[in-house]
Amino acid sequence: MPPFERPLKPLHHLILLLLAEEPTYGIRLMERIEERSGGALAPNAGSLYRTLALLVSEGLVEPVGVERPEGAGAPRKNYGVTSEGLSLLREEARRQAELVQAARALDLLGGAS
Amino acid sequence: MQWLWRSLLRLYPRAHRREYGEEMLAALSFRHHRAGGGVRATVSSMWDLAAGAVGVWNDRLRRAAMGMGRGWILDARFLARSLGRSKGYVATAIAVLACAVAANATVLSYGTATLLSQPSWSDPASVMVVWGSNLENGQRRDVISGPSYLDLRDRVSALEPVAAVHDGGAYLIEDGRPEILDALEVTVEFLGLLGVEPMLGRDFDERERMSGGERSVIVTHGYWRDRLDRDPDALGRALPFASGPRTIVGVLPEGFEFLGPAAFLIPLHDDVLGADERSRIHYYVFGRLVDGASIGDAALELDEVARAIVLEHSGFEGWSFLVEPFEAVSVEAVRPALVTLLLTVTLVLFVALVNLATLFRIRALARSDELTVRRALGSGRLRLARVLTLETTVLATVGATLGLLATPFLLDRVRAMVPPWVPVPESAMSIPVLQAELTPNLAAATIIGTVIGAVLLSAPTLGGALRRSAQPLSGLRVHSSLQGVRLLVAVEVVAATALCIGAGLAVRSAHSLLATDVGVEPEGVLTLYVGDVWERAASERTSYFRQIVEAVERLPGVRRAGVTGYVDFQAEDDYAGIVLLDRETRPGTELREQWRRVDEGLFEAAGMTVLQGRAFVSTDFQGEPAVSIVNEAFAARHYPARSPVGERLVLSDEAYGELKIVGVLRDVRSLGPAAAAPPMLYAPYQGNVRGTQGMYVRVDGDPMGMAESIRDAVWSVDSSQPVMGVAPFQELVARWIAIPMATRTLVLSLALLTAFLSAVGVFGVVAYAVRTRRSELGVRMALGASPARLEADLVARMAPVATAGFFVGTVLAVTAARGARSVLYGVDPIDPLSILFALVAMGLAIGLATWLPARRAGRIDPSEAMRVD
Repeated sequence: MPPFERPLKPLHHLILLLLAEEPTYGIRLMERIEERSGGALAPNAGSLYRTLALLVSEGLVEPVGVERPEGAGAPRKNYGVTSEGLSLLREEARRQAELVQAARALDLLGGAS
Repeated sequence: MQWLWRSLLRLYPRAHRREYGEEMLAALSFRHHRAGGGVRATVSSMWDLAAGAVGVWNDRLRRAAMGMGRGWILDARFLARSLGRSKGYVATAIAVLACAVAANATVLSYGTATLLSQPSWSDPASVMVVWGSNLENGQRRDVISGPSYLDLRDRVSALEPVAAVHDGGAYLIEDGRPEILDALEVTVEFLGLLGVEPMLGRDFDERERMSGGERSVIVTHGYWRDRLDRDPDALGRALPFASGPRTIVGVLPEGFEFLGPAAFLIPLHDDVLGADERSRIHYYVFGRLVDGASIGDAALELDEVARAIVLEHSGFEGWSFLVEPFEAVSVEAVRPALVTLLLTVTLVLFVALVNLATLFRIRALARSDELTVRRALGSGRLRLARVLTLETTVLATVGATLGLLATPFLLDRVRAMVPPWVPVPESAMSIPVLQAELTPNLAAATIIGTVIGAVLLSAPTLGGALRRSAQPLSGLRVHSSLQGVRLLVAVEVVAATALCIGAGLAVRSAHSLLATDVGVEPEGVLTLYVGDVWERAASERTSYFRQIVEAVERLPGVRRAGVTGYVDFQAEDDYAGIVLLDRETRPGTELREQWRRVDEGLFEAAGMTVLQGRAFVSTDFQGEPAVSIVNEAFAARHYPARSPVGERLVLSDEAYGELKIVGVLRDVRSLGPAAAAPPMLYAPYQGNVRGTQGMYVRVDGDPMGMAESIRDAVWSVDSSQPVMGVAPFQELVARWIAIPMATRTLVLSLALLTAFLSAVGVFGVVAYAVRTRRSELGVRMALGASPARLEADLVARMAPVATAGFFVGTVLAVTAARGARSVLYGVDPIDPLSILFALVAMGLAIGLATWLPARRAGRIDPSEAMRVD
């Protein structure tokens, strides 16, 4: 298995983070991405499922069960991160922490801390 | 809306559709609804879907490519390990291919450069040569007179344009230093006919059509490069021709050559051609077939012209034109040699490929177990095929590349093998050119060709191995089967035997050719051209040359000297009408045969043999000539079954009248030992002799050692006269026999290479048999079999294969030789010596190849051998 593209693309990173917080299904994930990114990222169905398929095939995300909504509606497949997905997130967090530290050293964050 | 999205979903890979399709529709619907519907939202959703599909396909392809790359890297690592374990196999396969490729590239480069110079003009296939022909007199191809050329040029519409060409020499005197250079005299149509345009300046045109106009010359690229130092302003320069300066009007492009090397094109003028006597035939005539016309059309029109000439002019009875493609005529002399070489090269390549097939097969047998294990561990058939093909490809590429790298070195060796006076250097000058221009393409083509060949060749074997590998149990047992390999070895022995016999025949043919009496004795003879006395009266010319001969003969160490018009017997000499008086010819019929003036000393100086009658004596040169001497070919053609000595004939040259034949001379085979010499009449040196004469000087010791003193002797008569082209006569004669010599060397080398290649095949098989049967051999030794017995047993197993191969090869070679009898010279197709040579060569090769690995069998330690499996 080749190493997954580093550093993670924002959309990949956000999906992994959101699914790490709580497994969820496609439409919900779409909404949460928009919320969390403040509208900067608003994947449509085509690109969301392309990314999901890619993360699944790389073993970073996996289906974690099917949820039947009350009343009418198709069953929803929930996705969660795998242990590989988690370790990738950790690695990414460490990388970003180093960046933050470097930024702090230069006092780039100002009084933000 | 849903139907639209569903149809766009079809753009996605099926698996993606199945996995995410429904959810994607739900998400699309959700997003569309949230955006408030409408056209804009619909278009946006469709765009999203299509772009997503492209992205998904892109991801898949990238993953597949990365996966494949990883596979290849793994395969390459595996390949390196596996080849590293089989160094013998790797070295043998590479060596076999390298040998074959090097041999082929060498022979093809050498053969094409030496024997075939590619015409440098456009559409050479439609260039025809027109000969004068008189089958009644046995003259099939003859040159044509000026007036006849003008007739056919103007009256034949199927040939357009038509040009006349005369190859001769040009005399220049620069800074008091006279020299003769090769030149072509051509009519103004010549370059246009060939479609060649001068690199600088212009072609001859109407300004040169008639005499009295501009005295111009076109120089060849070689002359411009070497003598004019590539002067870009060469046009307009005057060259100091002995007959008066000529102005350069054009420079020919590089590589142009016609009827041999030349320095100049000099215009032939229509009025001069028309004023010539119709019986003075001088010119080669070439024409280009016009579009839509066939040779038959041209021949019909030429027949009409010939009929008119015969009707209008006396002395032309039975005379006609013959038209032939120039290409076919020019390649005629070298065709046997080329055919022999190409056949040989094909056989070598065949043996090498069979050899490779043997090796691959042995290799596949040896790897059956390994393949079975890999298959059992989950390797797909495709994966295994890829590994095996990769191996073949790598070996073939390395082998072919090494072979090509060796080619220039081998070409040097070939050049070194050929004696220096053989005229190979002249043609071989094109070898570096060939190398420089063709090698990148040739190299790529050879490597690709070899790789494809090797892969195709190994495919059936690999297929078999893969099939067997699918059956685990049988796969592990398969390596005892060597039947197929033995068959391949037998095929190799067949081909190698046939080639060895062919080489034997070629060597014997060449030997007979070289032993043929060419009619002269060139050892110890110096040849040179002397004099430039064209402006002097005829009688002064003869007396000048007589004085030179006397001066040279006075030198100590000179045994005899003689002069005649040309040193090179291949040069066309003056033709004259000859009427045989005592033979029943139709009244007025003149024969056209070559004749030459010779002085008293020529026959002895050149070592020519009188077979009947006598040579010229001094009294023959006093007063009006009354005698002549003919060669064997002349006697055979005109006086069949009787001696011509005592017969009389009339030579229609003003200096001569009725001549009595007093002797018959051995033919001088200047067209090569196997080619018939043209009929020739020799007349005493009189009358209008050429202003420059060829001279032969027979000396004691090394002829070149005498060059200085001979030159001084010539200058003692007149120090302003040139002495040119001083060379040993042997150099000239070597040119007559160059092709058989070169063919002999090459064919023999290739045959030995093939014997070696088949030995490699046999070696591989026996070595493999010894390896696979180690335990059995070990048991036999433990039970008391002696090493000698085991060795004899292994050798005996190859004996039937080798014998059968040798027998079939002999039959094939003899059958082929009977078919190609015309290529052989002085040797029977069933030649015991050649068969013996093949027997010895193959016996040694196979014997050694069997014995070496068999000897290893005798050294097996029984206890160790039995532990192995």
